[in-house]
Amino acid sequence: MKLNLKSKKILVVEDHAIIREAIKHMLYGLDARNITDTSSGAQAIIAMKNRAFDIVICDYHLGVGKNGQQVLEEARHSKLLPAHATFIMVTVEQQQSVVLSALDNKPDEYLTKPFNAQQLLSRLQRCSKRKHYFADIEQEIQDENIYQAIKLCDEKLELGDKQMRLQLLRIRAELAIETGDLDYAQRTYQQVLKERELTWARLGLGIIAFKRGHLEQAVGYFQQLLQINPSALDAYDWLTKAHESLRETQLALETVELAVNLSPQAILRQQKLATLASQAACWETAQKAYKAAIKLGKNSVHKSSRDFSGLAKIYLKTNATAQAQQLLDELKFQFVNEPDAELQAALLSIDLFKKTGQITLAQRAYEDALVLSDQFGRLTPKETRLQMAKTCFINNNYPDAENIIDELIKCNIDNNTFLEEIKAMCSTFNHETFPANVIYNTKQALININNNGVKLFKEGKIKEAISTLENASKIMPDNQTIILNLAKICVHQLKSTKLTKQKLTKVKDYIDKAIQLEIPLDKISHLQAEITKLNHEFMSHR
Amino acid sequence: MTIDHSATSNFPAILASSVHDIKNSLSTLGALIAQLKEHYPEATPPEFRQVEFEANRMNNSLMQLLVLYKIDASLFSLNIDEYVATDILEEVLAQQSTLLALSPIQLNIAGDADLLCYCDQTLIVNAISTLVNNAQRYCKNKILISTYQEQNYTVFSIEDDGKGYPDNFIAFSPSQTTLLDLTSGNTGLGLFFVSVIAELHKVGNNCGYIQTDNQSQLGGARFRLFLP
Repeated sequence: MKLNLKSKKILVVEDHAIIREAIKHMLYGLDARNITDTSSGAQAIIAMKNRAFDIVICDYHLGVGKNGQQVLEEARHSKLLPAHATFIMVTVEQQQSVVLSALDNKPDEYLTKPFNAQQLLSRLQRCSKRKHYFADIEQEIQDENIYQAIKLCDEKLELGDKQMRLQLLRIRAELAIETGDLDYAQRTYQQVLKERELTWARLGLGIIAFKRGHLEQAVGYFQQLLQINPSALDAYDWLTKAHESLRETQLALETVELAVNLSPQAILRQQKLATLASQAACWETAQKAYKAAIKLGKNSVHKSSRDFSGLAKIYLKTNATAQAQQLLDELKFQFVNEPDAELQAALLSIDLFKKTGQITLAQRAYEDALVLSDQFGRLTPKETRLQMAKTCFINNNYPDAENIIDELIKCNIDNNTFLEEIKAMCSTFNHETFPANVIYNTKQALININNNGVKLFKEGKIKEAISTLENASKIMPDNQTIILNLAKICVHQLKSTKLTKQKLTKVKDYIDKAIQLEIPLDKISHLQAEITKLNHEFMSHR
Repeated sequence: MTIDHSATSNFPAILASSVHDIKNSLSTLGALIAQLKEHYPEATPPEFRQVEFEANRMNNSLMQLLVLYKIDASLFSLNIDEYVATDILEEVLAQQSTLLALSPIQLNIAGDADLLCYCDQTLIVNAISTLVNNAQRYCKNKILISTYQEQNYTVFSIEDDGKGYPDNFIAFSPSQTTLLDLTSGNTGLGLFFVSVIAELHKVGNNCGYIQTDNQSQLGGARFRLFLP
């Protein structure tokens, strides 16, 4: 297929003026007429906000400010690139593609410097051919018509195009996973591996084992893959996840450390390393990773207040109060109107003032924290809330501490690790009977509500069953059992009533919530399959 | 002031950074050559061909240096994926295009469009390009690069119409490579590099290899790369 560049809107991002001109010159030579060029990442983002480009050719090294990867991340994050657009990353060394690889955002192609017009054209043509071939499937995936996408995949596979076969099988397996058909995906990966040892197929087997909850088996697959291909960064990420799920913090830490050594520029991995190292009390590693994350965060959409508060906590632990103060100031300055950041800053201030003997100021900071917790506490992560409860205990404010703990337990009644954390914290204040009682009562109440809901359901009083569980869900929004039963009953109801977009969306939300709460996939996958099927029915009858 | 000599233990970073620097210079050089060519819309002086050739050669040598160093230091791993074999040849053709435009040499490619190959594409393209670059030097005016299937291997073949390889390059085996062969010229290093890369491509007990002879259908040297 001949690629016509004449009508394409092209953006060239390159800080080196001579090379920028050379690339433009090549493009003009290839009949391109609509070229915009910028010399920095920030300008590139502005250009993309003003205009939807078809092709972006972006150098990785852009001097100061954002690098090419950060430009790509922001463009995807803020949806500045149309679905059909091609993003080509220019690097100086081919192996860099591995090094630069971020967790999720990959460019369509890498191009190694120096390159000539013919090489650029051949790369653009290959991209455009591939995009064109998969465009209809991509569209269905975007519209969430998974079954339609699967149908298109199967039709294309039927045609027996040898060049596209493996790519089709790869997408087909991923779609199967999405509909919960893990067996199909597994068979596909095994079949591919019989022909050829390919990274994505072996990784797929590991992901399936992970989703089935066979964590040790998953670890085995990921380790096997890393032995064959030590630079498969995806495998490190999944292996870290599997070790974490097995509560092997030390092994998870070692794994993510290896990945960070391979890709020091990937901010999400640095953040993961910092968190895991803090959990394992490896302060030196944590400090280094937090510093790296803060530095990378300057130009990244993944900039996070947690990196600042995390590092400040380590400074406080090592009595480096001046550095802690400086970070605290930056935290307040850089994250305005962010509940978690504000509450973290208030909590840090208390500790800092205490360390420096400023008792009155510490008291005032504590009062600020109380007000913030009251107003926005529910919007902050559970770890921040637990820390707030602890602070209340320290200040002899048992009623507020108990209120927070009561809520935390109700919302996290299925999260045994976290419940243990709560109990451990309370026991340092000789207050362990309180959480134990709340946990017992909550579990009892839960059993009652659930039994009641299931009983109503069995009696055919489906509406009543749903409203019982919905009320319970309002009190315990993060409770796994309630969400799962709600989803089950709602799916059942959907099958016997007239479908509406609204009803479908509601059930989808419950299932999404169940996934978000990390309920094992084998308990959800059949519900997912049902809902995708119902959605398909609904769309085709419209 | 004390100087931190630990820098020398950080050689991989220093090498990578130097290569980065030189590559940027080569890119700039390429851009400048392209600009200069604009001044000769009618006939480009023959010196341009030599400059392009040398720039290409520097780039290939630099890449070989870095890859061989990384293999030696166990810092290297292949990035295997599936590719259309003729796409690889197209890439080589594209890489050589500026140089070919300035010379009377005819470079043709041949192969079945359905033939697939599993390899580290960047590496294989660079390796073949290096050999084609050398062939341009020794051929009269024709080079043929082709790809075909032979048993369990995908074969890439480079043939020219020159005088053929000298005896010491026939049936080339990397294990017999001496320092003398390597320093005797670019051809030796190029062959050594491709054979190392070929050996890294393994499937089960089969591993990639190279063969050199003078049985070119064009009458000169023939080089073949076998990938499992």
